[in-house]
Amino acid sequence: MVEKIKIHKGLDIPLGGAAEFRVTDRRDIALYGIMPDDFVGFTPRLEVHEGDHVMCGQPLMSDKNNPRIRLTSPVCGTVKEVRRGERRAIIAVVVEKDEVQQPWKCDTESLKTREGLIEAMTDCGLWAMMRQRPFGSIANPDDKPRDIFISLFDTAPLAACPERAINVSCLNGANKGQWLEAGLNALSKLTDGKVHVCFSCQQSAVSGQLADNIIFHEVSGPHPAGNIGTQIAAIAPINKGEKVWTMNRQDVAILGRLASTGEYRPERWVAVTGPAAAHPQYYHITAGASLNELLKGQISSEVYPRLEVRSQQAAVSRQRAAGSGTRVISGNVLSGRAVGVDGFVGAYDSQVTLIEEGDCYDFMGWLMPGLRKHSFSRTFLSGMLPFKIQNSKFTVQNWHFNTNLHGGERPLVFSGDFERVFPFDIYPTQLIKAAIVGDIDLMEQLGIYEVEPEDFALCEYIDPSKTDIQSIIREALEKCRKDS
Amino acid sequence: MNGLRRYIDKIKPTFSEGGKLAWLQSTFEAFETFLFTPNTVTRRGSHIRDAVDMKRSMITVVIALMPALLFGMWNIGHQWAAGSGQPASFWLCFAFGLVRMLPLIAVSYIVGLAIEFAFAQIRHHEVNEGFLVTGLIIPMIVPVTTPLWQLALAVAFAVVIGKEVFGGTGMNFLNPALVARAFLFFAYPTHMSGDSVWTAAKWWGTDAIAGATPLGEMMGGSIRPTASLLDLFVGTTAGSTCETSAIAILLGALILLGSGIASWRTMLSIFIGGGAMGIVFNLIGANSYMQLPFYYHYVMGGFMFGAVFMATDPVTSAQTNAGKWIYGLLVGMFAVLLRVVNPAYPEGMMLSILLMNCFAPLIDHCVVAVNIGRRKKRWKEAQK
Repeated sequence: MVEKIKIHKGLDIPLGGAAEFRVTDRRDIALYGIMPDDFVGFTPRLEVHEGDHVMCGQPLMSDKNNPRIRLTSPVCGTVKEVRRGERRAIIAVVVEKDEVQQPWKCDTESLKTREGLIEAMTDCGLWAMMRQRPFGSIANPDDKPRDIFISLFDTAPLAACPERAINVSCLNGANKGQWLEAGLNALSKLTDGKVHVCFSCQQSAVSGQLADNIIFHEVSGPHPAGNIGTQIAAIAPINKGEKVWTMNRQDVAILGRLASTGEYRPERWVAVTGPAAAHPQYYHITAGASLNELLKGQISSEVYPRLEVRSQQAAVSRQRAAGSGTRVISGNVLSGRAVGVDGFVGAYDSQVTLIEEGDCYDFMGWLMPGLRKHSFSRTFLSGMLPFKIQNSKFTVQNWHFNTNLHGGERPLVFSGDFERVFPFDIYPTQLIKAAIVGDIDLMEQLGIYEVEPEDFALCEYIDPSKTDIQSIIREALEKCRKDS
Repeated sequence: MNGLRRYIDKIKPTFSEGGKLAWLQSTFEAFETFLFTPNTVTRRGSHIRDAVDMKRSMITVVIALMPALLFGMWNIGHQWAAGSGQPASFWLCFAFGLVRMLPLIAVSYIVGLAIEFAFAQIRHHEVNEGFLVTGLIIPMIVPVTTPLWQLALAVAFAVVIGKEVFGGTGMNFLNPALVARAFLFFAYPTHMSGDSVWTAAKWWGTDAIAGATPLGEMMGGSIRPTASLLDLFVGTTAGSTCETSAIAILLGALILLGSGIASWRTMLSIFIGGGAMGIVFNLIGANSYMQLPFYYHYVMGGFMFGAVFMATDPVTSAQTNAGKWIYGLLVGMFAVLLRVVNPAYPEGMMLSILLMNCFAPLIDHCVVAVNIGRRKKRWKEAQK
């Protein structure tokens, strides 16, 4: 039986540049990087030196607090560089791929038991993809989660289109969804509770031989309906002291492949999207691929006709480095990370977004009608005109998005709009206030354990006082994590 | 625009830290951002942001105030013409109102913004846009004959005591415009609640023509106000400068609700609360004021203006949706209760909103407590 869940609150941001459904095989990319910052609560201890030869699945870093948690190399190759930033913090460990590749392998017989499966997952590094809620950190393999939640679709701006999501999650050589099923069955061994699988109404449910404790939910509604946090809140909210685990859909398929063949191949599909992408499409890559190679020919510097006045400095710097006016985000535009063109595809991301930097001035922006500006409020003319007239024909509004803050930071003024994009039984305003003052007791009472920063991304987007709400929530969660 | 931008970029170092005029940094920034939305890009969190900012929200409220302001200007002239018995054309009425209103608006903005700029400079933060609205509302809700020095004093009091001592816009718990009104009301009662303050007698000065507002008449024991219901709705009656016209204020309400700036919950519940209280009094019917049909309360005095522009202030009203309903209902009920039962003050809206401003945090606290209780219960059940 499939339970239907309808999410009413939320907002779909009409960002342009969705990926065309065309897949190019880019497993030939030479450089791969593992960025420890992708993993919440992970304190890296380096396990290799520059010049070492590593195999696929061999640890590059391990967690200082729990040596069972490792970040492993996605390919066989040579450690080319340990990239460091301020105070020598590790930004990325970069591996250059060998000509000949071998997957990490183990005996499938040992994977039949829970312990064996966890052992193999931690060994090959797939375990780092298993995240726990609350806090969003890598799950502790010694824990037993209350439930496991899997979302088979994503509603974030320009995310892989839902009806294709299941197809996307199956890799070359497998029948449609075969490894996804195997992955779900493997997950069902890890918990005594349920494995809740959420899919969109545009998808067909996964069929096949599935374990009894796997439950399907059909979820519909605007973003953030595809966020795992929204789904957990709608199905079985997290109480204090409880832990649930989640995994991205593509990693479930990787797990399925591991469970059925004993091979660990961290290959996934990633969508290059965004208004500044020249040819938005899908790529078949190995995890951690270099964006520099992946995005060759993708960054188009002039996408929009310039309406705004650019400051001279910005114009000069633009001429100096063509393409520097584009922000490269690993993940979606709401909660992804700006990694730059020298970065790598983030560990949990199946999307790269390219968007124009908004370092330009806007003459009397607060007063102008704003025909192409997007706003949740209807204070711009564009809000009243969802369509525009072009060549005496109605066409869909041609929105203009960039990374401009569109205003100055102000003290928080709560207009009550947050509640309209926040589908939780939580008062976002009060929780944000409690997070700002850092009152752990109050945050617990208001439901901090049920949220992640990404759940507040839309609040942050629509906030007229331009506060960095996601950072506030991240810091608050870190405080709670250290306290517990 | 490029030339202007270049000029600003050229003079910017003078006002930046280390420059000669660094002490004017906040002021410079206020003017710079007034001309150009800054080129700041997002650094953390969501990479794209909604185009709306505080300036845009505030200017939308100012636009929503325009119908009431323009009608108020005309009505000042209209009242003057009617009171002095001389015929006056539409444009003469409007010119008279304009001449009377402009000094009030100018004083309010100059005094208020000067204090705002000074505080921003001392605290090294950007100037807040909140006063753009407050500074316009204050002259709209005082009698036209208010002496300018009293207004200046009231504005200063409202900005300093009503807002800045709590940390500025967003931190205050009382609506600053109402603080100014209350200051005048209690400091200079004869100038505010006397009969002869509502209609200006000359093009300047504080001379006034004697005459009562509809609320004053009702306090005096009339059965109905002299003005017809239609006159009250259109607003051709005596009263504070821009509060009289229900139709102009409703136009503003349309802009506020259409743009999503103000909460429809608050607005609607005030009307429901006021109406319910009026109906209760109609049922009791102990005196002529109680017998006044409830819908008169909507169009008399400042009820409409308060419900649309003052009680909906997001900073000082309740912030939870359920809280907004409770807050609005109580604002409406108290406003009518104070009007009908209280013998001292003809108008109850101002005090009612100020009172509920004080209670809004408590209302929110109770609403949130229900949510907290629900979460605790769920936790306990899960532990079993």
